[in-house]
Amino acid sequence: MVVPATETNDETLAARAAAGDAAAFELIVTRYQGRVYRLACRLTGSEADAMDALQDTFLQVYRHLASFRGESRFGTWLYRIATNAALMHNRVRARQRAESLDAFLPGFDAAGVHLGTPAELQSAASVEEIVDRRLLAEKAMAAIERLPETNRVAFVLRDLEEMSTSDVAEVLGIEPAAVRQRVHRARLMLRGYLSDLARVKP
Amino acid sequence: MNEIRCASGVDLLMDYLEGVLSADVYAAVEAHVAGCPRCIAFIASYRETPRIMREATSVGLAAGQQASLLSFLRAQRGFSADDN
Repeated sequence: MVVPATETNDETLAARAAAGDAAAFELIVTRYQGRVYRLACRLTGSEADAMDALQDTFLQVYRHLASFRGESRFGTWLYRIATNAALMHNRVRARQRAESLDAFLPGFDAAGVHLGTPAELQSAASVEEIVDRRLLAEKAMAAIERLPETNRVAFVLRDLEEMSTSDVAEVLGIEPAAVRQRVHRARLMLRGYLSDLARVKP
Repeated sequence: MNEIRCASGVDLLMDYLEGVLSADVYAAVEAHVAGCPRCIAFIASYRETPRIMREATSVGLAAGQQASLLSFLRAQRGFSADDN
């Protein structure tokens, strides 16, 4: 029985595409284009840069299909290419990035106790009820851009693309403990940023 | 290990939530959090942060952009799926 192409797994499609099957390659593109574009938007903060990164990603995937050995899953391999393509496009604008989010890290008193009341400490969780959806989208994208690159990449892959910590470690070529450290710092900064946003009615 | 304070608990928070702490450290964090309304509130907002950021930054690729990607790739490759 012939398996319909749309149900074929990535690795089989990659093998067919590497052997010159254009339809198999285009099915890979169809399957991943939305995810790669979303990833690139989040990493570059720009739709135009994301489109360039999207094109570069699939061009590189096509050119390097023959070197895909199946040592990692195809999706992991493709995400590595996509992440690098997005960062290449982002470097051009990196110098113009605004000030850091360090000021939003949590504060403690001399005894190591949280500053702020429980209600204040929880306010980030209510930001969607307070800030207009469109404004929140703009602010969220801008905040991600303000993260240091290592934290931004780990956070976007782990928390926004919802990859497992071990898959992110594989994509970035670092230890899972380092992924957790980078994601954690990004979460702390963004949590503080959202708290600040929740306190100010636009 | 030393007694957990809010500050040291925050340092361990992601490892705590991912379940990678040793049993004794995990228990120490849990014991602190159980008696600390500030940490309970902090953790609630920390846990929500990824979802809020994810939903606020979710974008889709428009049909026109999909078509232009495919045209670009076909032009680069010099053939199309229809040639097979």
